Amino acid sequence: MARKGKKPPAAGPPVTTVIVMRLYVAGKAPNSIKAIANLRAICRRYLKDGYKLEIIDVCEHPRRALSDGVIVTPNLAKLSPGPASSVIGNLGDTDSVLAALGLQAGDIVE
Amino acid sequence: MTPESLPAARSAPDLQAEAAFKEWVRRIVKGVAELKALEAGQIDAVLDPATGSAILLPEAQAALRRSARSALGARDVTRNVSGPILTGALPGSRRTKAGRIAAVARATTPNCLLAALPAKEYERLLDGLEPVRLTYGEVLNEPGEQIRYAYFPCDCLVSLLTVVEGRRALEVGLVGREGMVGSRLALGFAASSVRSLVQGTGTALRIESARFLREFHRGPELQRALLRFTDALMLQVTQNAACNRFHVVEARLARWLLMTRERVSSLEFYLTHEFLADMLGVRRVGVTVAASALQRRQLIHYRRGAIKILDLQGLEASACSCYQQVRLTGLTISVR
Repeated sequence: MARKGKKPPAAGPPVTTVIVMRLYVAGKAPNSIKAIANLRAICRRYLKDGYKLEIIDVCEHPRRALSDGVIVTPNLAKLSPGPASSVIGNLGDTDSVLAALGLQAGDIVE
Repeated sequence: MTPESLPAARSAPDLQAEAAFKEWVRRIVKGVAELKALEAGQIDAVLDPATGSAILLPEAQAALRRSARSALGARDVTRNVSGPILTGALPGSRRTKAGRIAAVARATTPNCLLAALPAKEYERLLDGLEPVRLTYGEVLNEPGEQIRYAYFPCDCLVSLLTVVEGRRALEVGLVGREGMVGSRLALGFAASSVRSLVQGTGTALRIESARFLREFHRGPELQRALLRFTDALMLQVTQNAACNRFHVVEARLARWLLMTRERVSSLEFYLTHEFLADMLGVRRVGVTVAASALQRRQLIHYRRGAIKILDLQGLEASACSCYQQVRLTGLTISVR
């Protein structure tokens, strides 16, 4: 009698990973506004609802930013899933933002 | 070298000052990615570890000034400009009387002391009031110094500290949107008796001392409001003295958090252990133990200085009886 093997995992929707990010900006300074707009566009296109974003104004919370190891803004930090990574600047270079978030240009969400 | 030692970079943007500022930035910014972004002109601000503040780069500063000017009359300027370089009178505050009144009227979260005044007295005061942004760590008055302005906090928080032997400081009072900083003026004194330190960044309305005194002598309601506030402040100070002597740190911390919450009208705020230790007159480790105890009981959430009150009633039950003596009455506290 053939022994029954382990049951293969049930097929279902793939587990979606939520990307947790923190964007440090300086009030409404030009690069900060651009960074927010660029990041929102990337999130809309590549992540849809699969992300959590916290925006921190370093003018309001400078000590918090310093304790997080932030020296300049705008600064996008990906916190999870690991490994943690960061992108500095106005996030106009989509490829480097995607690379930091562990995504590829083809991962567009319809 | 801190940005404070670079006054020229702020006031007269000549080449030498610009070079000095760039040199300071280079000393702080060392990472390759940071430097690359800096060279590409994609950086707005640099955080200075020495002073714990954000320093806006000249380009960002100029852009913010421009946007504040163009927004004047269309939006609330007090919300548009921030950063230590711009601390003090907001850009455009030296403008026409009508413009100043409009900007003041638009300031968010009005000060309760001003809001309680009859329209006539309020309008007279408005003429001299200007909105300013106060940032964490800023000292408004030092003991013995002339009081230049009276401040009416809108959504900022100011601690009154008594300074011992010129260096050690202990908090004796806390002023937020319910009161005013510089109330000693109303008692006939031109100098401050305490250090007024901004603990929560936000907006306040300020008025020159001489102008304030003129309006104070003319307005019976303002006099009454200030007498009431001074009495409440005195109660707070006396209660603090007793509390520091008789109550345990955990109960005092709970009271302090509740008082802060009333004054900033929010369940979330940012306070470091070091600061709390100074405020409560204990060592940092004492604050850590007390905050951990409150966190274990799920009354607060505390992480890297960001405090969130989770259970208001539980925290009230944990606070010492002093809180009931000094709690503000008649204030609407919105929960954000």
